[in-house]
Amino acid sequence: MNNFFNMNGYGIFVWLSFSITFIACAIIYYKTYKTLKKYEKDFAQELEKLSESEKNLVLKKSKIASIVLTSYNKSI
Amino acid sequence: MINLINPSKIFKWIENSIKFINSIFFILLLIALTFALIFSPPDYLQGDSVRIMYVHVPSAWISLSTYSCIVFLSILTFIFKTKNLMLISKSIAPIGLLFTFLAIVTGALWGKPTWGVLWAWDARLTSMIILFVFYTLYIASIKFIKQEDKAHKISSIIAILGLINIPIIKYSVDWWNTLHQPQSIKFLEGTSTIHSSMMLPLMLMLLVLLLYCALIFLMKYKTEIIRIKKKNIKRL
Repeated sequence: MNNFFNMNGYGIFVWLSFSITFIACAIIYYKTYKTLKKYEKDFAQELEKLSESEKNLVLKKSKIASIVLTSYNKSI
Repeated sequence: MINLINPSKIFKWIENSIKFINSIFFILLLIALTFALIFSPPDYLQGDSVRIMYVHVPSAWISLSTYSCIVFLSILTFIFKTKNLMLISKSIAPIGLLFTFLAIVTGALWGKPTWGVLWAWDARLTSMIILFVFYTLYIASIKFIKQEDKAHKISSIIAILGLINIPIIKYSVDWWNTLHQPQSIKFLEGTSTIHSSMMLPLMLMLLVLLLYCALIFLMKYKTEIIRIKKKNIKRL
């Protein structure tokens, strides 16, 4: 086990490379996911603010609006 | 073709693809890491430090191909004046910036045990830094120029100007005497000097990182579509 982590003296370079890669990827994933959820929420709330007739019209015309609103309502 | 990538038509497909990638990603990551860190043998010359190749090389490939993709889309945007193509390249750019950063950092960490230094201003390393600068300028121009059309035009020009750097990066190891080793895998000629025991983990890590790129791209593209729809809510 010690050999596995030490990697014949190269462990620090190998583990640092893999760690930096996965930490950076995880940060970008988290930020992207958070932004997406924020936009979905904002869009769904904008739709909810519309009058019932306006909302129905938008949902009928826009498939995207309908998908976002459905998934937002499921998540709350 | 342009109609095929109409956001309204592919929105549901984007959602399903995100779910699909999320469902298989961690299994594939675990397999790739097992091969990269356990099963693959140490190099006869570089020892275990060669394992850095499994994150460094795919990162460098992704950073170059992503930039080429942005240039291609920027040229198409100029020809067809399609806003959607710009949204696609805007969603790809942060991925390219991330992997250029990772290629540089992991390269430095590989350089220390191999060359004895973390950094040297040789042709390959310097041209990668220039690529990083072009990515930064591209993203900054989109972010900070308020007028959308102007931002798209300027960012496209920046991307196209940076195209000159791509062959310099690729052939820098052949054109100049550099610390960086020559290419071991030549895609254009279909040749490789890497043994299959190292090639398999390399390809697995490439697959995992490509899936990650696809995931980030789809989430960013979905965000852009929603942003546009929200902006035009009254016109829907």
